[in-house]
Parts: sequence; C-alpha cells; structure tokens
Amino acid sequence: MIDQDTLAQMNGQYALPPDAGPAWRAAYEAGVDMSLIDGALRLTPEERLAEHQQVIDFLLELQEAGRSHGAK
Amino acid sequence: MAQNDQALLTRLKDNGLDFVVIGGVCVVYHGGPLATFDLDICCPFGVENVRKIESAVNDLHPFHRLTANQLPLETTRSVFGELRNLYLQTDLGKLDCLSEVAGLGNFDAVLPRSVVAALSYGEFRFLNLDALIASKKAAGREQDLAAVRYLLAIKEKSEQQNNLL
Repeated sequence: MIDQDTLAQMNGQYALPPDAGPAWRAAYEAGVDMSLIDGALRLTPEERLAEHQQVIDFLLELQEAGRSHGAK
Repeated sequence: MAQNDQALLTRLKDNGLDFVVIGGVCVVYHGGPLATFDLDICCPFGVENVRKIESAVNDLHPFHRLTANQLPLETTRSVFGELRNLYLQTDLGKLDCLSEVAGLGNFDAVLPRSVVAALSYGEFRFLNLDALIASKKAAGREQDLAAVRYLLAIKEKSEQQNNLL
C-alpha cells in the first residue's frame, strides 16, 4: 500500500528531512533542488568531480549537436 | 572545446605552481549541484609563476580569451610581470588564474583557508567551505548568492553530522 506522501514523493515532491536545519529549509524554500545536494553529499569529493566532468562532457556534446542542428 | 579539469590541474601541479582551486569546481568539490565550464584557481603571480602556468599549457594553444584579438599567451611574455589575472582558453578548456579572491585576499590569505584534497591523480588544495561561502558572498552576483544558499545548507548538514559523531 502506497500512502499519499510516498505517492507525492514518487511524483517529485521532496521530503524535507525532519532534522532539516534553518539553512537547509531556506535553500529548499528558495527553490533549490535539495535532492541534488543529498545525492552529491553521498559521494566522495573525487566522485563529485568525476561526475561533474561527465556532466560537462555531456553538455558540451549536446551544445555541439545543437550547433550542428542549427547550422543545417 | 573540451573542458578537462583533471588534466589542467595535473599539468599545473606538475609544473610546480602553488595554487588553490576556487570558484565553481570548488563548489562541486563541497557537494554543490552545478556544472561549471571553467577552472578557477588562485595563485601567486609574478614572472616566475606566470611562466609556470605557461609551461603547464604551452602545447595547448593558450590565448587570452578576453582580449578582442585572442592574443596567444606566448606573445605576451613582455608583460608577464604586470599580470594580476589570467583568463586563458586552452585545448583542455578555460583556465582562469586569479591573484586575489573576493572577500579573502591574495594567495597568502587564501592558502591557510584551504583544505588538501587527496584525489587519485594527486593532492590539490581547495578553498575550505567557510572561505568559499565568504568569497561567494563577497562576489555578490546572483549566481554567487544562489550558491551561498546551498553551501550554507551543506555546511549546516555537515555540522549536524559532526555533532552526531
């Protein structure tokens, strides 16, 4: 049985942890996707940098594809 | 043009430059969710240090990317002693070298506010979280203030976890 809260989370609602402090709440209320930070904090710093490199590579490839598409 | 921060960092280190990673890559290091397309470092300047930077990138076709005519770095050796910042485009991406960090000061002030990161490709210094927050607050642009929001949240969470230990 899936409750409403779980369903809402499945639909993208971030569950603010009960122990969230004022800075965490402020960032959340300002619209920051705190799930991204949660995910990053679960990685080691080196894993974060490696993931960042992958993101850059992907975005640059996408940018290049967009340029090529625009040139046609 | 590819951005390869790992390769740039390794080259700078291999050429004997003392530096601290600042800016967006430092935000990523501390857990901030963003993608940044340049590598920012703070380092001491002067002819000797600019030559070390040049040695690190001289086979990467470096040029001053903010100059209208994209001056190749090698053609500007006569003013190396007058440079306080370098905004380079290289074959491995953008490399911005700054002599000062907003809110912190020059390299001598930045160095004690850094942490050593032992990465698989070497040890590198990054601004510590408090210094990064201070620099972002001082820079004050919209993107910096947005970063301050989640850096404060990361700091708070880190302190909560430390209190549990």
